[in-house]
Amino acid sequence: MEERIREIAQRYPAEKRFSLAVLQDVQREFNYIPPEALPLIKEHLGPDVREGQLYALATFYKALSLKPKGKHIIKICDGTACHMQGSTRLITAVQLALGIGPGECTPDGQFSLELVNCVGSCALAPIMIVDETYHSKVTMEGLPAILDTYRPGGERDV
Amino acid sequence: MSETVKLVIDGKPCTCEKGDYLLEVAQRNGIRIPRMCYHEGLSGLGACRVCIVEVVEAGRSRVVTSCIYPVLSEIEVFTQNEKIKELRGMVLTLLARLAPNAEGVAKMAAKTGIELPRLAVKEGGDTCILCGRCVSACEALGSGAIAKVNRGVTKEIATPYGEPSSECIGCGSCAFVCPTDSIASERTEESFTIWGREFEMQRCSVCGMPFTTQAAFAFLQAAQAEWEPGAEQQPPLCEECGKKAVARQIANAGKYL
Repeated sequence: MEERIREIAQRYPAEKRFSLAVLQDVQREFNYIPPEALPLIKEHLGPDVREGQLYALATFYKALSLKPKGKHIIKICDGTACHMQGSTRLITAVQLALGIGPGECTPDGQFSLELVNCVGSCALAPIMIVDETYHSKVTMEGLPAILDTYRPGGERDV
Repeated sequence: MSETVKLVIDGKPCTCEKGDYLLEVAQRNGIRIPRMCYHEGLSGLGACRVCIVEVVEAGRSRVVTSCIYPVLSEIEVFTQNEKIKELRGMVLTLLARLAPNAEGVAKMAAKTGIELPRLAVKEGGDTCILCGRCVSACEALGSGAIAKVNRGVTKEIATPYGEPSSECIGCGSCAFVCPTDSIASERTEESFTIWGREFEMQRCSVCGMPFTTQAAFAFLQAAQAEWEPGAEQQPPLCEECGKKAVARQIANAGKYL
């Protein structure tokens, strides 16, 4: 893992302004920022960068996570329009189906659940985004079938 | 060549160089704008908002944060008119809500004649106003062990992962600059404890008084070696003995004139 983190850091010049870009790439690779990553990123970016600053960035942005996330990340929009269209029921349904609440990850590491605010597709409410795929107008009846495609062996589980 | 700008602060005509920060310009002219996060040795943070003032430029008025407001054109400034007093009162009230146990906030309110609403002060309640002066001091000194962590209501000042930081040198600058004395530290004859780490004290090579931590002294020596490669390393001297040593050098230098 350490080697991989070094490789990611070395894609960018050793300058402070690339801190966020490196963190984003590490997040994309591992689905979270492992504790080992910060000292290695600091080492590459040079003396202008402090571990504290990287930690501040990693905790500030919602796109970065310090906790491991599942292979598939389910984001349910709880913005105003989705909320009116029953996103809370959708959240409860996912909780019942997978046994995890918002911010949590299933023990097998397959799924994690997150609540997000408006994603700008209000006409398609309620919206559920899994990885990069937008599932629109999700219904209680349709939900299990969508989740099944991401379970181990499912067609979207790649 | 820098440009000179004329301005009027609370009725007093002043001049400054274009781009100077308003709070500092006022200070130079004997007008002390109340502030909490601004520190002379550090750059303005604009975090506490206590230093807000009203700026009138070409007939248009607005409220700005004077520690990070560069004076660029002719302006008229009001540092304590009714409007500003009211707004500053609001700012201090919010800071007091954030940190009900912060004496610094209560003192600032008393000093600026603002009456804070009565708040329930709990034992062990918050004293940090999250201004970030400590983080700024830590970074300015070249360590960077602490940072503003998380955001919104969960924001706090902490070390990475809340673990004792390997970058901390125990210099105590963070606690020294804190406007509300909210950083816990403990100093004994032998050790200094801060941010979950205990540091051994460095004794003065002349009088034997412990004056800083060994880690902070080693950090300074390393910094000096970087600025002046090959320069002779100074022995550890406390402030008092250091002054005496410099005075002696100056006195000796006089002999050869």
